[in-house]
Amino acid sequence: MIRLQNVTKVYDNSVVAVTEVSLDVAKGEFVFLVGPSGSGKSTLLRLIMREEKPDEGDVWVAGKHASVLPTWKVPHLRRSIGTVFQDFKLLPNKSVYENVSFALEVTGRSRHVVRNQVPQVLKLVGLSNKSERQPRQLSGGEQQRVSIARAFVNRPLILLADEPTGNLDPATSVGIMRILDRINRTGTTVVMATHDHAIVDAMRRRVVQLDDGRVIRDQRSGAYEIRVQSNVRAAEARDEGKPIDPLEIPPDPALVADLVSETEPTSLPGAAPEKPTVAPAPDDASSAAPGHERTDTDA
Amino acid sequence: MRISYVLNEAFNNIRRNGLVVLGAILAVFVSLFLTFGTLIFGEIARVNTEQWQEDVRVIGYLRNDFRDVSGLQAEIEDWAEVQQVIYFSPSEAYQEAQRMFADDNQILEVIQEDPSIIPASLRVRPVDLNDYDTIKQRLTNSPGISDVISADETVEQIAAIRDGLRVFFWVLAVALGVAAVALIANTIHMAIYARREELEIMHLVGASNWFVRTPFIIEGVFEGVLGSGIAVALGAWLYKLAEGRLSDLPEFIILAVPDSFMLGRGLVIIAFGAVVGVVGSSISLAVHKYVRT
Repeated sequence: MIRLQNVTKVYDNSVVAVTEVSLDVAKGEFVFLVGPSGSGKSTLLRLIMREEKPDEGDVWVAGKHASVLPTWKVPHLRRSIGTVFQDFKLLPNKSVYENVSFALEVTGRSRHVVRNQVPQVLKLVGLSNKSERQPRQLSGGEQQRVSIARAFVNRPLILLADEPTGNLDPATSVGIMRILDRINRTGTTVVMATHDHAIVDAMRRRVVQLDDGRVIRDQRSGAYEIRVQSNVRAAEARDEGKPIDPLEIPPDPALVADLVSETEPTSLPGAAPEKPTVAPAPDDASSAAPGHERTDTDA
Repeated sequence: MRISYVLNEAFNNIRRNGLVVLGAILAVFVSLFLTFGTLIFGEIARVNTEQWQEDVRVIGYLRNDFRDVSGLQAEIEDWAEVQQVIYFSPSEAYQEAQRMFADDNQILEVIQEDPSIIPASLRVRPVDLNDYDTIKQRLTNSPGISDVISADETVEQIAAIRDGLRVFFWVLAVALGVAAVALIANTIHMAIYARREELEIMHLVGASNWFVRTPFIIEGVFEGVLGSGIAVALGAWLYKLAEGRLSDLPEFIILAVPDSFMLGRGLVIIAFGAVVGVVGSSISLAVHKYVRT
């Protein structure tokens, strides 16, 4: 679904944002991008949504060679990517309903589709009863749910989230993660950049850790940070005379319970029911492979 | 839905930014009103200088013993720069002299004594004022011509006024047109800035470029056409008003701009207003980061 090959991005002020990053994300995966500020997480997301072009290397997204896609084809790529940001980016003079329907209207969907899809997706994020509110009448968590609804309303293949819980308290964050998890279970690939230890540790999904623009860890069912916790474990292990396996670090049980409890019964109307796979499916990865659909070239 | 949505966007935008849009319309109106006025004045100047030009002649006096007048006349008429040659016979010249010097008895007496001192002449009308000198030269070298006279200074003045006005009106019209483009570009720029959040989200969710841009282009055309339309209507109305009021102008000024000219140039101005709208909005769309992908 997403493939980066030896991608390097240097900004105009010669700041190297990303260095030789290679990454494969299969359809339906849930990936956390972690790492300190300035480590290249946001740049990676911007490369995937073709907000930036790499200076070196190639980016394939949803079967399209995004790094060489001509500018006029970028809107079509964007329609298969939903994006969620820390600051919500809602339009203050539009209601909740209008904020969500905006995404469909400006991509030329018919009124019929708008009338169908918007209430469904508002129901998914639990805001059916607040659809006529203005964003300023909502809490931060509710605003973020509107923004997720907007990102998901046209059923994108990929959802990119850049610190979606960055402005929210832990309890509210859990609610947001529950929705992202629900969306992931419909088969949507989710890539989320975050600083939130608790969430990453609790959800136990694939973790890609960046440092200074390089991938320094890519781990299935990972924790936020291997060092701190494993130091603790290492100390314990030394005492007990056992080797350390980072996968064994237990997630916070309370958070897990919170996250898991409500995710099961939800089925999304209109979305293809898919197995909630976490393991990368190899054939999906190859569908985004070089040469599969080459929509060259203006670069 | 697409077309109606785009139109809806454009007109919502116009309504929301009413003052700015009004400013742009006024800007286009002022610059194109002046441009249109310039065209009308240019036309008046052209008609008048042409009229003065009509009256300009190079006069070649014939020697009294020259016989082949009609041969010379035919030859001169064949010159490329000559429009018309009129033969002024001795008797016509005599009558003209009597009229010209009706107040001066001394001269009249001399003329009446010997009418032959008033020579016959060929009066040559040039195709263009600039041919004046050439004709003068060629006429001086022609057989049978004793003397050539011309109103050199007057001709040069008329030509200078005509050429000067032509250049002046063109420069003015172009400058005002450029100003109109800049003002529309600025207005659209402000409209884009006012909607930058919306535009950013449109790009995020994958709105196509034409979908993002068309409302602004429509807004620009709307401003351009409305501004130029008012300019043309007001210009034409004011001209008609002036034509009616200023019937007692000095004789040498003619106020006669034909309706066809008014209509033709008016349509050109309105079309130009539309182009100004497209160009202005395109310029600001091209430089604005919120509408670039």
